[in-house]
Amino acid sequence: MTLSLHHFLMLSAILFGIGIYGVLSRRNILGILMSIELMFNAANINLIAFNHFLYPNQVWGQGFVIFVMTLAAAEAVVGLSLVLAIYRNIKSVYTEKLNILHG
Amino acid sequence: MAALLIGLSLVVVTSRSVFRSAIALTAALGVVAGLFALLGADFVAAGQLLIYVGGIMIIMLFAIMFSHRPAVGLDRQTNDQWLWGALFALAVACGLIVQFRAVYRGVFSTTVSMPTTISIGRLLLGDMVVPFEAISLVLLAALVGAVYFGMDYEERL
Repeated sequence: MTLSLHHFLMLSAILFGIGIYGVLSRRNILGILMSIELMFNAANINLIAFNHFLYPNQVWGQGFVIFVMTLAAAEAVVGLSLVLAIYRNIKSVYTEKLNILHG
Repeated sequence: MAALLIGLSLVVVTSRSVFRSAIALTAALGVVAGLFALLGADFVAAGQLLIYVGGIMIIMLFAIMFSHRPAVGLDRQTNDQWLWGALFALAVACGLIVQFRAVYRGVFSTTVSMPTTISIGRLLLGDMVVPFEAISLVLLAALVGAVYFGMDYEERL
């Protein structure tokens, strides 16, 4: 059986669903960040697969993947420094403890 | 490979220990790099290994070790909405799978993969030079922001 485009797209859809479940169900901010990384990777698999199967002589999809990876790195750095600042202030990394705006 | 990737990402979202799910995420990102290499994107696969597995995961493990007391390592990690979250994620994934099967079934690759580093370099400094410079500004802003949030309150200007 040779691999077709929709096999890769279905794999990335499953990965994206797992990432959505993680974002919605995690209590821990670090767990939410890790699930967001999973969703980024699902999108990257999509871009690479479309590039490989539909436009095999161009590399625009791979260029976009490089940009997505760079943005993911920036997002992870800012997010993790925010996590450390939050942990210094309220001594917890769980989202339900973050209720200091709750009047 | 696909089964390995799905299993590892399930460990990422369901494991009780944050440290264990970070290790599983590292392995899953390595498997994604293998998928990129399978799809003929050699430069992106190497970049995935360097940036994600070597960079982001190290930062994430540092943050976990800084912000975790060892005694509370095995708390319950899901909130009260996990059932609705699972249903929503299942709905999204099923919708995407149905659409992808209907539209892109039977598209096969016809060409032989070539090394892509030269053409990616020409693309980044040719047609994509404006977003390339913009993303360097974004990275600079992210670095400054990370340093700012990392400071104590008394040290801030």
